[in-house]
Amino acid sequence: MSDPVTGVPFRANAIRALSDSALRAAMRNATETFATKRAETVSAVPLEEWRDQASDLRLRVLDHLSDYVDLFERNATRAGAKVHRTEGAKEAREIIASILRGHGIAKVVKSKSMISEEIHLNDFLQKQGVKVVETDFGEYIIQIAGEGPSHIIAPAIHKDRRQVGKLFAEKLGCEYSDDPMVLAAIAKKILRKEFFSAKAGISGANFAIADSGSIVLVTNEGNGRMCTSIPPVHIAVLSIEKIVPSLSDLPKFIRLLPRSATGQILSSYMSVITGTRKPGESTGAEEMHVVLLDNGRSEIVKGEYREMLKCIRCGACLNACPVYRLVGGHAYDSTYPGPMGIVLTALLDGMERAHPLLDATTLCGACGDVCPVKVPLPRLLHSLREQRVEKGFTSRLEQMGMAGFGMVAQSSSLFNLGQAAAHLLWPIARKIGPKDSLDRIPRPVSKTFRKIVS
Amino acid sequence: MRVQLFGTCLIDTMFPETGEATLRLLRYFGVDVGYPAGQTCCGKPADSGGYSHESRMAARHFISVFEKTDGPIVIPSGSCASMVKNHYPELFRDDWQMREKAEAIARRTYELSQFLVHVLKAHEAGLTGKGKITYHASCQLTRELGVREEPRLLLKSLKGTDFIELPSADRCCGFGGIFMAKMPEISMALADEKVETIMSTGADVVTGCDHGCLMNIADALRRQGSPVKVKHIAAVLAEGLT
Amino acid sequence: MTRGKIIDLFIDNTAKAAAEPVRISSSDELNGVLARILAGSDLIFCPFVTEQEKAIKLSPDKLTRDYTAASACVEEVFAAVAETGSLVWTSQGGKPVQAGLVCTHHVAMVSEESIHETLDDFFSSLGDSPPTNITLETGPSRTGDIEMTLTIGVHGPSRLTVIVF
Repeated sequence: MSDPVTGVPFRANAIRALSDSALRAAMRNATETFATKRAETVSAVPLEEWRDQASDLRLRVLDHLSDYVDLFERNATRAGAKVHRTEGAKEAREIIASILRGHGIAKVVKSKSMISEEIHLNDFLQKQGVKVVETDFGEYIIQIAGEGPSHIIAPAIHKDRRQVGKLFAEKLGCEYSDDPMVLAAIAKKILRKEFFSAKAGISGANFAIADSGSIVLVTNEGNGRMCTSIPPVHIAVLSIEKIVPSLSDLPKFIRLLPRSATGQILSSYMSVITGTRKPGESTGAEEMHVVLLDNGRSEIVKGEYREMLKCIRCGACLNACPVYRLVGGHAYDSTYPGPMGIVLTALLDGMERAHPLLDATTLCGACGDVCPVKVPLPRLLHSLREQRVEKGFTSRLEQMGMAGFGMVAQSSSLFNLGQAAAHLLWPIARKIGPKDSLDRIPRPVSKTFRKIVS
Repeated sequence: MRVQLFGTCLIDTMFPETGEATLRLLRYFGVDVGYPAGQTCCGKPADSGGYSHESRMAARHFISVFEKTDGPIVIPSGSCASMVKNHYPELFRDDWQMREKAEAIARRTYELSQFLVHVLKAHEAGLTGKGKITYHASCQLTRELGVREEPRLLLKSLKGTDFIELPSADRCCGFGGIFMAKMPEISMALADEKVETIMSTGADVVTGCDHGCLMNIADALRRQGSPVKVKHIAAVLAEGLT
Repeated sequence: MTRGKIIDLFIDNTAKAAAEPVRISSSDELNGVLARILAGSDLIFCPFVTEQEKAIKLSPDKLTRDYTAASACVEEVFAAVAETGSLVWTSQGGKPVQAGLVCTHHVAMVSEESIHETLDDFFSSLGDSPPTNITLETGPSRTGDIEMTLTIGVHGPSRLTVIVF
């Protein structure tokens, strides 16, 4: 975690990442594969129509967000869940901890949840003496490594098989193998025991259904299902903008999420959980808690960045981003990396922390092209750059340079003077100026095009 | 037909030969080209940095220079053309008078390859060229202006030229305007990857519609010791003109 | 879409998701097919909740009531979806949905009538009160978490056979 006052040291992180050839190879492989598979699966469908529908639905919910939250709470309660509405991260963490404490639970199994990363849940619970066992294979790997996720869909994608093999051998005491099948089998065996011995399961939710009070979990491994149907207590944590009006709306998102994330038509497991186990049932938790987290959303929804809340956490923008593809997620030093991460970090953590991340984009626009719900990421990033300037988070030198630019751009005589000066002073500029920029561009000419044409 | 040429600050200051090629090309098709003398910069450098105040200063000047003229405004740069067409009206969203002027200017504006294909039908004119050529599709040109086919149509129409499609042609080269200066390490790494794809085509020349990109790509080619030449599309098309 | 085309689409998509579809002409053939498919499994679990499940015959010495001990799980689906090649399991009737998750080989029996054409068809068939637990299973359990290398059978079954009757 970086010092919140000075902001994320993105450039330094990125430079380090660029010289890590194993990381670069891993990132290239992962993002190319995801992006190619996504492109293949979306080429066969009426994508634009689907994107429009999904975007409209998200906006409809955002327009009446608190009503939908109320509706969800009513219906989830009716189905047997206990709903806890929390403002901030601290409150959410404490409620979860107190639920576990109330049952004397010292170990939980956990299905991958980005919101739990956002509120730093694991650390907090461990400090309270609760063992948290991540069950998603990628999350399990990084938990053992003591790292955070570097991609919102594939958390350990920055590691290659040798690194994972070494990690398992060191931390789990097993024989070294770099065969992913062997490594998966090792994790499966360990985690199988955990599923059956844990007294509580914590999950996120990909979506929450207002009409029925259900939560929806999508995984490829099946661990989401296992965390939520085997232990007697289930705690689901989700932020309020995940709510979708009814089950009949769900297909519109389910068609887009797996295709955009991994290029699959549907992930191997999708679970819809509506409350607690009823009499006569043999599946599901007996006690279910839904922690509905606001954490800034009801403020964001009122402002110019509200469309960011349409995000369905597919990761397509990460895979499309030229910067993310190169440096990976850890360089952003934030819960969410890539284009959606830059925007969310600015909105959730503030400009103080996020301002360097606004340079982690070339504004190429590739992210906006692939977003399944049409979050206008390029426009939001551009607005945030404007906000960064307005709030005074750019350097004095840059501000002065831009002020000079403005003056020169509005006067053709000053502009011509500037061009002549640039030509003449170039040798000096090359000596004293930033070499890594000036060495890469040609000298301004003495006979400008204007002079040729006039 | 008379058009107004906006040379762009990059071409004016560093690549005047592209400006000359643009003139030759337009005149070949019988177009009378005006060059409003007071032009400076479209304001994109300030805009991309989030300096909307300074960006508006440049935009007001551009509008005041060009509103005194008539006819299409032709710009040999995707990012500048997009700045004028898409961003100028946005910049003046709180000033309806300027906004109307901006929209009028935007309606008259064409990026060069747009103009060549849609107005001059230059891709049907039997132009000639030589060698193996590949094309880098710059970001604002592709994603903001929607110009994808036009440059390819023009290049493929050149008799004597072997056009090779660049893999991941529309992937960002790492220029990003001020990004090149603020994040040089990432910029260079992206340019290196772009060069990797260029070299995989076996092309002698890489072309594009934006000098910012071409400048960044040329630097990477130089750093990698590659003999591949970098030419703006105007220069490529004008080369075969007699 | 005609029923015939829906069934074809389902079988096609379930195969694309790496499940093994088997089509039989009537439920009379089921026992023979099951015996063949399950020949290699030592312990088999079946919930015996639906009529079809109750009608199947499996050798008693292979059957177990403890799904955590079974290597194979045979059960009849609640529904299926042709659009995605998915099987739908629910907690209705007291079925332990997790049984099909913890085994190594999951064998699903799907009647032709239970196949919905689209996800929309399926979800609108649920009405106002869905079963407590619904799981859509599309192919066997998998992960690509290490170097994007596909590994089948992480947590869930590594083999999914779908018998359409």
